Formats: sequence, C-alpha cells, structure tokens
Amino acid sequence: MYSPLGPYRDLLHAYLGPQVGLVSLLAVLLGASTALQLTGPQVLRAFIDAATAGAATAHLHRVAALFVGLALLQQAMAVLATYYSERVGWSATNALREDLTRHCLRLDLAFHKARTPGELIERIDGDVTALANFFSQFIVQVLGNVLLLAGVTVLLWGVDWRAGLSLTVFAAVSFAAMNRMRGITVPHWRRARQASADLFGFIEERLGGTEDIRANGATAYVIRQLYVPLRARILTNCRARVVGALQWGTPDLLSSFQLATSLAVILLLYRGGAITIGTAFMINYYTWLSFRPLRMITQQMEDFQKAGAGIVRIQELLTTSSVLHDPDNPRPIPNGPLAVAFDHVSFHYGGESQETAGPVLHDVSFALAPSAVLGLIGRTGSGKTTVSRLLFRLYDPSAGAVRLGGVDLRQARREDVRRRIGMVTQDVQLFRASVRDNVTFFDEAIGDGPILAALEDLGLGEWYRSLPKGLDTLLGPDGMGVSAGEAQLLAFTRVFLKDPGVVVLDEASSRLDPATERLIERAVDRLLVGRTGIIIAHRLATIRRVDEVMILEGGRLVEYGPREVLAGDPGSRLAALLRVGLEGAGDPGDGDPGDGDLGAAQHSRLLVRSP
Amino acid sequence: MAVTEVAVTEQETTSRTPGAGGQALPKPSWFLWRLIRFRPWMWTINLLAITLLIVIAMSPGLIAREFFDRLPTAATSAATGPLGLPDWLWWLCLFTVLSTVGRIALGFCLQLTNGPFMFEGAALMQKNLLAGVLQLPGARALPSSPGEAISRFREDADETPGFMMGFNDMCGGAAFAVIAMVIMLRIDAGVTLLVFLPLVAVVAVVNRARDALERYRRASREATGAVTGFIGEVMGAVQAIQVANASEQVIRHFRTLNEQRLRTAVRDRLFDQLLASVFWNTVNLGTGAILFLAAQSMRAGTFSFGDFALFSFFLGFATELTTQLGRVLSHYRRLGVSFGRMATLLGDAPPQTIVAHGPLYVRTEPPPLAPPGQGETAVAPEERLERLERLDVEGLTYRHPTSGRGITEISFSLERGTLTVITGRVGSGKTTLLQALLGLLPPDSGTVRWNGRPVTNAATFFVPPRSAYTPQVPRLFSETLGANILLGLAPAGGDTTAALRLAVLEGDVASMAEGLDTPVGAKGVRLSGGQIQRVAAARMFVRRPELLVFDDLSSALDGETERLLWQRIFERDALTGRTATVLAVSHRRAALRRADEVIVLQEGRVAARGRLDDLLATSAEMQRLWHGEPAGEDAALR
Repeated sequence: MYSPLGPYRDLLHAYLGPQVGLVSLLAVLLGASTALQLTGPQVLRAFIDAATAGAATAHLHRVAALFVGLALLQQAMAVLATYYSERVGWSATNALREDLTRHCLRLDLAFHKARTPGELIERIDGDVTALANFFSQFIVQVLGNVLLLAGVTVLLWGVDWRAGLSLTVFAAVSFAAMNRMRGITVPHWRRARQASADLFGFIEERLGGTEDIRANGATAYVIRQLYVPLRARILTNCRARVVGALQWGTPDLLSSFQLATSLAVILLLYRGGAITIGTAFMINYYTWLSFRPLRMITQQMEDFQKAGAGIVRIQELLTTSSVLHDPDNPRPIPNGPLAVAFDHVSFHYGGESQETAGPVLHDVSFALAPSAVLGLIGRTGSGKTTVSRLLFRLYDPSAGAVRLGGVDLRQARREDVRRRIGMVTQDVQLFRASVRDNVTFFDEAIGDGPILAALEDLGLGEWYRSLPKGLDTLLGPDGMGVSAGEAQLLAFTRVFLKDPGVVVLDEASSRLDPATERLIERAVDRLLVGRTGIIIAHRLATIRRVDEVMILEGGRLVEYGPREVLAGDPGSRLAALLRVGLEGAGDPGDGDPGDGDLGAAQHSRLLVRSP
Repeated sequence: MAVTEVAVTEQETTSRTPGAGGQALPKPSWFLWRLIRFRPWMWTINLLAITLLIVIAMSPGLIAREFFDRLPTAATSAATGPLGLPDWLWWLCLFTVLSTVGRIALGFCLQLTNGPFMFEGAALMQKNLLAGVLQLPGARALPSSPGEAISRFREDADETPGFMMGFNDMCGGAAFAVIAMVIMLRIDAGVTLLVFLPLVAVVAVVNRARDALERYRRASREATGAVTGFIGEVMGAVQAIQVANASEQVIRHFRTLNEQRLRTAVRDRLFDQLLASVFWNTVNLGTGAILFLAAQSMRAGTFSFGDFALFSFFLGFATELTTQLGRVLSHYRRLGVSFGRMATLLGDAPPQTIVAHGPLYVRTEPPPLAPPGQGETAVAPEERLERLERLDVEGLTYRHPTSGRGITEISFSLERGTLTVITGRVGSGKTTLLQALLGLLPPDSGTVRWNGRPVTNAATFFVPPRSAYTPQVPRLFSETLGANILLGLAPAGGDTTAALRLAVLEGDVASMAEGLDTPVGAKGVRLSGGQIQRVAAARMFVRRPELLVFDDLSSALDGETERLLWQRIFERDALTGRTATVLAVSHRRAALRRADEVIVLQEGRVAARGRLDDLLATSAEMQRLWHGEPAGEDAALR
C-alpha cells in the first residue's frame, strides 16, 4: 500500500539532513522550553499550598517571582526557537525551489509547451511556500507538543493513577480520531492549489500580452475569461476550508469529556484526602495544559494536509521525467569544429502534447564537414527550426540518428552537446538583470574584457557607452529599454562569449535592418572561422557566405549540395529561387527582381540613380 | 526603461502621502470598509459567530470557579448523587460538554462565512487589478516583469480580506474583555485592573514598532517578487537556457535571490515573534503581579480558590486575545504596504478602483460580451465608427524616462487606402513611434488627428473597429488557435475564413488535425514563429479595422508568404468594397516598394519621407538601408 508518510520522510531527509546541526539545536531549545512549561503548574501548586498553610508573605513573593522568571525564560527560548526554525525552514525550501527549477530546466520542450510560466511560478514558489510551514513549524510544533503532552501524562501518573489513566485514555482516543480524519482534506487542498496555479498562470500570461490585448480591443473579453479561474479558486478554497472545519470538532468535543472526567477525579481524590487543594489546582492546570498540545497538533495536521497537497504536486513535478535520457557511459564530444550529420532522420511531435501544428521531418540525411557552413532554406513551417532543435537534442528523432563530431547525440550527455553548440534565434529572452548577466547568462567566470570586446565587434559599442551604469545597468523584463534589434545583437554577444564548435543562426538577423545587419556581418564571418555553421534562413540574402545549401519543403529534403554547384545548375531549385527571388517572387506590377536576385544590373541602375 | 521610475513611485506610495501617479492613497481602513460593503452579510454573520463563540468559550472559567468554590465543602458533605458524585458536579459536567458543542457549531458557521468573504474579496481585487493594468498604456503597463506582478496579485490581494477575519476575532475578543472585566471587577477591582494594564502597554509598543514592521515587510515582499519574477523569466526562456547550457549559472543566480529572500523573510518573522513575545511577557508580568496581590487576599480569605481559578483561566485567555490584538494592529500597519503595491500596478488611476465593487459571477454565468465599439471604449458616440479619411500626426515626442531615447517632433499624414511604411535602423524609434501614436506609450507632446479632429485619449481611441495593431513580438495565449484570433469576438459567418485567407493562414489551419480548435500552447509555442505572426495578423483582420498597424509583421515570414500577404491586404477592396489603410514598420523590400509613402527615421527624427524611388535618389540613410551591403558582394550567390 502507498505509505502517506513516505514522501514526507524523503523530503525531511533530503532537505533537513544538511542542516542537522541547526536542527539539533532546535531540538535542545524545544526540550528546554517544554520543561519550563511543565514546571509552571508545580510552582503554582507550591504557591497555593503555601498560601493555604499560611506561609509568610515574603515566601509567597519568592514563589511568585520564580513563576515570573520561568515565564520570561520560556519566552526567550520561544524567540530563539522561532529564529532557528525559520532559518531551517527557509534554507530547506530554498534548496527545494532550486532543485525544482533545475529539474524544470532539464525537462524537455514538450513539458514546457503544455505549461505557462505563471503556472510554474505557482508550482515552484506557491507550493513550496505552502511547505515552508511544514519544514519550519511542523517539527517544532508537533515534536514540542508531543513532548509536552508526554510530560504532562507522566507527571499526572506520578500524582495518582486515576488522573494519569484518564489523560492517557483521552490522549489515545484523540490521536486515534485524528488519525482517522487525516487525509480527508488532502484532495480538496490539492484542487484548491491547482485552481490557484491556473488563476495566476492565466493572469501572468495576460500581463505579458497587454499590448496585444489593448490594441485589439480585447480587454472586456479578457476580464470575462478571468471569471472562470477566479470562480474556481473561490469555490475550491471554500470547500477545502469547510471540509477542514469538519475535522476540528472532534478533538474539541473529546477535550470537554476529559475536562468533565478530570473534575470528577479531582473531587474523588480530594474527598478521599489523597491530594491537597494545591494539587487539585495543579491537576486542573495540567488538564488544561494538555488541550493546547492536542489543538496545536490538530492544527499542524491541518497544515500538514495542505502541505500534503503541495507535496503531492511537488512529487508529481519531480517525477515528471524528461523523455530524453543521458546515457550511463557518455561519449565525449571532440574539441574544435565539429562535423554535423543527420542519418535518415524522421521526426514527429508525438505523445501527450498532441502536437498537430508542428512541422514534421521525413527521412532527412545530410553530412556537413567540420568548419563548413550550411545554408538551410525553406518556407515558414518547412521544418527548419526542428532541425536545429534536434541538433541541440531538445528532442530525439523518431527514427534515424543525429551525429555531432561523429557521436550519436543519444550517446552523449546533453550538457556536453549543448556546451559545444551556440545558437541565435529570432526571439531573444532577456532577464531583469544586469547587462553583464544577460550576455554571460549569469556566468561569473567571464571577465569584462571579453564582454566589451564582443560588444564592440557587434557594433554595440555606442549603445554600451550610453548605458548609465555600464555593464551593471539593469535591463528590464522582455527587454524593456532595448529594441528588438539590439536584443538580437545581445544574443550574438552571448554566442561570441560561449565560443562553441558549431554555430546555428536561426533567422538570427530577421529583425535587423539591412544597415545594422551589415554591421554584424563581419562579426558573423569571424564567428564562423574555424567553426561549423548552420544558417537557417527564409531569405536568400542571409546565406551568401554558405558553402552548402539544403532546401527543405514540407519536412522533406528536396535539394542538397555545394552552393556554387547548385547556383550554377539551371535545373536546380536554388537556381530557380535565385531567378525569381525568394522574397519578392513575382511581385506584380513591379519590374524589380527579388532580394535574392540582386544582380549587378539592378545595382548599376540604382547606382546611376544615386546622387 | 520604466523600471526605475516606478520604483520611485512605489516608495512614495508606501510613505503614504502622495499615492501612485500623484493620487493620494486612502487609509487601509477605507479599503477595508469597501471590502466589508462588498460582502456585508458574510462579514456580519462571521462577526456575530466569532463573538458568540468567544463568549461561550468563557464558560470553562466560570465552571472552574464554581468547582473550586464548592470543592472544600464537598470533602465534608455527605450529599451524593449518581455514582457517589454530588448533583452539582453532574450539572457542571453537562454544562461543560454542551458549551463545547455550541462552540463547535459556531466554529463551523465561521468557516462557512470566512471562505467566501476572503476569497471573493481577493477575487474582486484581482479582477480590478487586471482590468486596471489593461487600462494602462499597453507597452508600459507593468512596473516590472509579469512574474513579479503576480506576487502583487497573490500575496497582496489575499492578505487584506484575511485581515478582516483577524479583525473580527479581535472584536469578539473585545466583547469577551468587557464581560470578563465586569465579572472580575465585582470580585476584586485592584487585581482586575492589573490584568488589563498590559493591554495598554501593548498598544504603545506596537505603535512604536510600526515603521520597522513596514520596512521589514516591504523588503521581504520585494525579495519575494524578485524570486517569482525570476522563475517566470526562466520558465519563459527554457529553450534559450537549455541551448546555452546555462542551467547551472541560472540556478546560481536564483540561489543569490533566494538567499536575499531568506534574510529578509527571517528578519520579518523574527520581528513579528519578538513583538508577540513582548505581549506574552507583558501578560506574564501581570500574572506575577496577581500572584503577589492574591498572596495577601488569599490569606485574608477575601479571594477564594474559585476566584483564583477564574482569574488564572481568564488570564490565559487574555494572553491569547492580547497577542491577537497586537497581531491585528501590526497587520493593519502592513496593509498600507499591500495597498500601496497594488496601487502602483494601476498607474495613474485612482487607488480606490482596487476595491471598486462589481460582479464576480461565482454562481451565475457572466453575460455575453458587448459587440466591439459599444461598451468597449468610453468615447463620445459621434466619434464611434467614423470612417477614416485622413490621419495626421503633428510633433509627436516621447522619451523613455531612463534612457532618454525616443522620438522627437515626428509629423506625417496618411490618407485612406494608402500604405505608409516607417523604416530606419535598429533603435531609430520605429516601434516607439507606433506605440506613442496608438497610446500604448504616453506621448510627452504632439497631436494626433483623426479626420482633422484631435484624438484626446489615444489609448481608448485606437482600438477596433477604428484600428488594430500587431506588436513586433505578438503574444498568443494558451488557448485554441481560433480563440486567439477571435479574442471574444463573435464574427459574422465567413469573417473568420476571410481573415485566415488574408493572413495566408488557411493552408496551415487546413493541415492541422483539429483546425481552429488546435491548442497553441503557452505564448503560442506550439506554432512556428511565422505562424504566430500570421495568427496575430488574422486577429487584426477579423476585426475589420479602418486602420491596420503592423510592427515588422513579416520578420518571420518567407518571401513568398510575405508577398501573398501584402497582395491580399490590398486586394481586399475588390472583395468588400472597402479599402485597407495601412501603417507599417518594415525594412523589407516587398513592403517598401508598395509604399505610397516611406518615412525614414534616424535617431528618433524623420530623416526623409516620400516615395521609395525618390528617397533612394535623395536620402543617404535610405540608400544605406536599402543596400545594406556594398555593391558587388551580393553577386556572390551566383
């Protein structure tokens, strides 16, 4: 049978284990604090018995002072315990957040395509924060209170077996009842947390698209849509709370029976002359003291169940494994420029994600020599981007093999593969972090010198000098304050700094104006020296520097060969494309040839017309 | 960058004199009252239930007093009832159990009311916040990243209705205090006053600690925002990070943010605990004082054992209530921070809108959407749906607050049925010009005229059916393809098909097994870059706007698709009798060749304007943009 405590134990072991010193200190503080709590009623008994016996006022005052002193000491312990338990709790949950983030970063794109960043924020931060209580409070409260309850029981047995027995029976019945109740709220809290994740995922996504929503007049629509996740969050949370309240009544009712029983026991003992009035007070006080631990334990069980919902979701996330696996005995990827080969590669997006929109590759084979540059041409959706994703092993091919430096990617570690390839894509993600962190991807090992050199090479020198704090200038999210073109230049900087053996440029310059594109061309040339290059383009103008050309159509390789040979063969597709121009093909009412066909004739004409 | 500027605004907001955007932030109590008025019955029932519950909870103290007063006599009296126990003990036991049953029932009633109050209150604020953000200039809507803003939607919105429940507990506690006071004053006035003196001390302590509490809480929230913001950015850039093999570096950065948060959170919590401890100790000192006093009176016989039991029970109770009072007071101080952070999201809108009442449709279905042009905007009726004849832009100026870059004194005009293309180098201000024109950024100066009439509120004016816009990087939402195109629009029969064709998307849709019902994934990630751009274009076309505004629409399109797109946009008049009017940012030749007017931007100013051929002859910048490369190299492909 599934053990409900298994995941908790594993988490405790994994995240409290490294903090064993602090946890022990916490345990000592707890023990001391509990002992102090237990002595309070003893002091009170001494006070009452002394008062009844007519002791001197000075003696009574000393006892009263002792009571106050013990109480102050106990508070000091409580403050210390809070401090350490918070530290322990936050350290543990931060480590868990880190592991979850790392895990998510290892998961494949199919996983991320099905989830919004907002949902993952809720799962990495929201769920873990709900667990924070489990780490910081649960141990302190549950252990501390169990200790207190045990102490009270032992002391009462010492006073009289009937007093001890009644408390023991009461505690046993209460725990049995609570154990029965355990778990009834977990599914409700899990639904409530999922509803929260959905709501904040929805909001986060809309917050990222305010421009689109505003300018297309969809504000009212978005608000109307918002009602659905809002409602789900309200209803699931209310239901979880009401179900939770059902389990609260039981320990309370049991307490009232125990109170009534203790009154009867005290009366019988006192009437039999077995105890003094001071002891009667003490028994009464201990009975009351025993309720608090039970109430606290119940409350912690409640929180425990909320955490349980979080734990289930965290476990779900942690056990979601990538469909990609690193081999046990990975083969290293060689140094220097690398050969790239596709060997009868077919690919379709399959499985749970129901990819129907994505492009598909059919039996694609090619071999690119080290240091050669390949131009990959095809229309939108022909499968060009899929080729680069397979090369990075973001996916595995459905059939065939992808080889880098002669190594089948499935036989190498993904980390090694990705270290040796650099890519610039059309979409550039910038972080709300310094310029330095953005271009180095937070790699502190890279000094300022190479960064500045790369920025200069790419024509970002002037932009850099306009920054108020140089490399420490904070960039906004989604590149606030940076134009899309500048963002792409920053992406080039990233690849320059990474110094890979293969460079993939996926429509890398599509957002750049020709003048700026020109600026980075020299830099790109330098980047391609001594490296294998794959330039993915839907415009012919961007593949001037390539050695070989591959044309994809509907996921099939329709042409492959050296550029010069293909361009010179009038029957080739490349030649046909060059004739009509890929970009401005058949532009009606306009005599100009297309961009791909910028012949000398056109230029001379333009030059003539230029002043 | 708007980041730094907003950070300043936030400081102002939380220091509570001027609110966000110069709007005064009302006191937290004002917001709370509005929340109470939103769900008045839930709140009232909750208040009554908790008050009654706390009053019933006094009964054990009274029972204990009765018990210990009778205990000494029970030792000598022979009167016994069932099981050899006196009748009065049986009555006390029955009373004990019954009062507990009453408490349990009331506790259930509490949970029935506080859930709806808290979550519906939070939902109201979340809805108002999202609506508020969507009213802001779209390109500068958020003070920080969406992920960071989420912490304002989550923690800050949840905290405030939760406070009201704590407040109700405190009210119940006050009722208890009054009743207990009367009972205890009648027993021993001197000792009683010593129980309540600590309460006064606590209030003073909390007032002194106010500033520190606010500071700690704000630091803790900001650190939380940094963490959630970073998770959001990372999860939005997974592919880039994987490809860059940067996971470990990213995690290291994440760790420093986490550590920062740990420090601030522990400090916040420790301060909380220290205050709580002060409350407990105040009461403990009071207990000690009572022991001192009781020592005298107990020996004198004026203070019975029962009285002592009652007092010590009430003291325990008073301890909890005093702690509660302290918590509620310090929590109240922190509410100012939360409301300030939420008000910052609303920009210049009055902070009062955070709690503006409105329907939530928890138990009913929301009504259908009003058609575009009605209810969507707040413009005068005569301005609605006016056919575009001419658009004039005069002296439009906008500077990014921190970088100082932007556009300066831009003027141009466009007429119905024309294509105007804005071109220029990276960073020359092309996108800024479109955003300032459409009200997605607030212009510093300049006028925009629609058919000669000045547009007063560009942000609400430039929406369908007047205009539609596709940003440079269009955002899709994780819904179906069709829902992304329609965004709530209910178009006439063939409109969607026509829009798909115009956007050259019909072939893609036909090839998808689920057609328009295909889910596109988060940010449309299941589609290719070109498909996303064409979905965004279809989203515009289906709204049949008078003016189409594209920012670099074709950057992910191949030449053939782009050519088809332009061709179809301009053949539209043949089908519908209407003429497309287009304003586009582009540096693509297909667009430039078609343009009726090309506007060349250079460093935020108009460098040249006119037809392409003329500009190629006269403008050095246009020549550079057109050629890109020196003559001769282009022949390399041959």
